[in-house]
Parts: sequence; C-alpha cells; structure tokens
Amino acid sequence: MGEPCLDLRAVAMRYGRGPEAVEALASIDLAVDEHEFVTIVGPSGCGKSTLLYLVGGFLQPSAGTIRLRGKPIAGPGPDRGIVFQRYSLFPWLTVRGNIAYGLAEKGTPRRERDRIVSELVRLVHLEGFEERYPRELSGGMQQRVALAQTLACQPDILLMDEPFGALDAQTRRILQDELRRIWRRDMKTVLFVTHDVEEAVALGNRIVVMAARPGRIKEVFHRGFEVPEGGEFDAIPEFTALKLRVWRSVKEEVEAARA
Amino acid sequence: MSARLALGLSRLAPLLLLLAAWQAASAAGLLPRRVLPPFAEVAAALWALIASGELWPHTVASLTRAGIGFAVAVAAGIALGLLMARIRSVQRAVEPILLLVYPVPKPALIPLFMIWLGIGDFSKITVIALACLVPVVIATFNGARGVDEFLLWSARARGTSERALLWRVVLPAALPQIAAGVRTAIAVAIIVLVSSEFISSDAGLGFLIFSYGGVGADDAMLAVVIFLALLGYFLDRAYVGLLRRYMAWHAFAQH
Repeated sequence: MGEPCLDLRAVAMRYGRGPEAVEALASIDLAVDEHEFVTIVGPSGCGKSTLLYLVGGFLQPSAGTIRLRGKPIAGPGPDRGIVFQRYSLFPWLTVRGNIAYGLAEKGTPRRERDRIVSELVRLVHLEGFEERYPRELSGGMQQRVALAQTLACQPDILLMDEPFGALDAQTRRILQDELRRIWRRDMKTVLFVTHDVEEAVALGNRIVVMAARPGRIKEVFHRGFEVPEGGEFDAIPEFTALKLRVWRSVKEEVEAARA
Repeated sequence: MSARLALGLSRLAPLLLLLAAWQAASAAGLLPRRVLPPFAEVAAALWALIASGELWPHTVASLTRAGIGFAVAVAAGIALGLLMARIRSVQRAVEPILLLVYPVPKPALIPLFMIWLGIGDFSKITVIALACLVPVVIATFNGARGVDEFLLWSARARGTSERALLWRVVLPAALPQIAAGVRTAIAVAIIVLVSSEFISSDAGLGFLIFSYGGVGADDAMLAVVIFLALLGYFLDRAYVGLLRRYMAWHAFAQH
C-alpha cells in the first residue's frame, strides 16, 4: 500500500478561547487513498463541513497535521478542487468563462483552454449553454458547471460540500449518477460531505459517520459491492442493508444531539 | 407594438392628468398668473428656448460641469470604497468623516468652496464631485464588504492569489451595488449642479433659472425646470439601458 492521497493526523479545531471555546473537531485521524471515494455523513453540527474547509485550506486547524500527497497544506490551492452547495460560480462569467476560470489563472494558452472547456461541457452535458450566465441556469445545471469548473483545474482531490443538498430529489439522483460516472472514468480521489445517508452509501466506497460535540469519527463502513451504472441501487439487498446500518449509526447521533 | 405603446401611455397618464389639471385651473382663473403661469405658456416658452437655440450653450456648460464632477466622483468613489472594504485602517479613518459629510446639504458648502477655490468652475465642479462621491463610496463599500465568503474561497481554490482577489472577485461581485450608487449619483449631480449655478455664474441651466426668475419671466423659468426634469429622466433611462445591456449577468429590478 502506497502513501495515502490525503492524510489527517490528530486534527482538532477549536473556535474561540478559554471556557467559552467550542470544540468543533477533536482529534481526527483519516487517510484517504488515491482513487478512493470517501463520503462523510453526520448530523448537523458534527463538524463535517469544517473538516472539509480545513482540507481546503480555508481554515487553519488548532492542532494536528493535514498532508496532501505528503505535502502539508498551507492555504487554499488548485490542487484541491472544491464544490460548495452554492456560490461556487462567478455570476458575472458565462458557463464557458466559469469553467475556464482556473485555466486562465494558471495561464493555459487560449486554444488549449477552449479544447478543455468544450470537453468538460460535453462531460457534464451542458452543450448549448456555454454562453449563458449562472442566473439563467437551474440549480442542477449550476452544480454541473461547478463540477466542470473544478475538474478543469485537474485537482489531486475533489472536495464536495453537500453539493447536491439544495437540489430536488430527482435532480439529486441524476447528478449523483453522473458524479459516479465521472469518478469511474477519471478515478479522481473524492472527499464528499453530506447529511443524506442514502447519498453517502450510493457514492462512497468508504462511508465515515461522524458524531457531534465534539466532532469526531464515530464509525467507518466499507461498501464491498458496486453500485450499478444508472444508479439503480434500490433493488440491491446489500445496498438496503448497508444503508440501514449507516442510518442507525447516524440516528443515534441525531437523537443524542436532540437530548 | 400597440401593447407596449399602451403600457407606456398608461404610465404617463398620471402626469398628463396633472398637467391637464394645471392648465384647466389656470383657464378657470383658479390659479393666478403670479402664483403659476398656465402650462400652455410654459410649454410655449420651452419650445421657444429650444427653437431659438438659447438653451444649448447653457445645457453644454451645465453638462460639462456635472459630467466632470460626476466622473471624478465615480472613479474616486469606487477606489475609496474598495480601499475601505479591504483595509481596516482606511475604513477607520474615512468612515466617521463620510458619515458626518453625508447629511450635510452640499450646496451649503458652495460659499466656502468659493473662498477656497475661487468663484469659477473649479469650485462648482468640486462641490458636485463631493456630493456624488458619498453615494458611490457607500455603495462600493457595502458591495465589497458583502461579497460572499464562499465566492472568495471558490476563487482562491481555483488559483486566484490574495492580491488578485480584489480585481477578479471583489470588484465584479460588488458591481450591482456600485451601479445602484452611481445611479443615485446621476440624480445628485443634477440637483447640486443647479444649486451651484445659482451663485456667481454666467452660463448654465441653474444660471438661466435664476436669471429668468429674477426678471419675473416665470414661464421661461419653469420651462428650464421642466427641461432639467426631462434631462434627468432621459439620463437615468439611458444609464439603466446601458446596465441592462452590459451587465446582463445580473437581474436588475424591473423599473
């Protein structure tokens, strides 16, 4: 087994100081291998988004180390592509401009940029929408653009912060399926945060359940079977069984948080 | 075509009604001439001013003053607003002054500016610029401060450096609010322009109003006022039209 793509050791995050300090994350150890698709699921307030923002370099951990391919993380960078639930796109740029954004920042020549953009437009099925602005697109289409924009930077790892959380149920499933298809094609390493248990099981090879107060890893599940092309997991008995086990683990935490 | 025309006319209806009432009141003798001349005479005076060409040099003089003051204010206002939003010490230094200057009626500063800067165009342009500056600075500051954190994160994760963030993200994201501030500044420019031209002036629409008012030519005086209203209205329409065309990415409110 080689070096993991992403390696978190004893990562802790506290907000504030003294007796009023809030411990958002307590001693997280997590290693994500190359080509692995890891989903993190947990109740709100368990620090799962905070964990992602630490890997993104937007926040600095209070303790511990985070390494990407052996290098410690110092601030945000295009080696980690992030997709947020909203506000990933620049409203003043067209679909083409948004997808090309990272390439332009990197100084990729014009022709090369155009080639990559049209390839990505095809990949996320947005042909014909290249000159539209984000406000003219549906929520699902906006997230497709955000995914293409992130892939354009060719990151070592994809960080996804409840990217389909604001979408309706049908659109969400279609986009999950497309993400799985893209992952199979490129075998990108993905760290995906969600509060939706079914989504976590449908996408992750490994499903990490987090607990709240303080945020920590509670339980890890491995999905030992493949989800078929087309994403029709409903008929797979193993899927239903795993989903139930993960749900029970999450439910304890939701109830604990409510108590 | 007819639907749009009908809508346009229906919007004008209250205004037309008001003008008709004005004319009717004058004709019925309810509105003495020394209070308000009949609308028809004011309209005739406006037509005469336009046809004789008398209005144009004054319009050019006024628009030059207002235009320079406005342009300086927009450039300086955007720069200052961005600096305030990005650099804490600049905000601390400028904000109290700005809030103090905000409610001061800028025309009240004209005599002071004339002592400092002379009675010519320079003092007039300065007071117009100062008046226009305030809405632009405030709008830019609020727009730049209100940029969503995720948008900044998104840019940084796509390779934008801390230095480039201002041009790549903060300024474009603040543009809709800046555009609204600039629209306010257009109206402010005209208001302050006219006041500035009341004092020690030999050209300009404000000068014209003041001169006709001084000799009792109320119909011509009001004609210039109406002309100013129309000028302001069309400048605003043209500005909004430009925004719709060149900032199509933003959904502006429908008015």
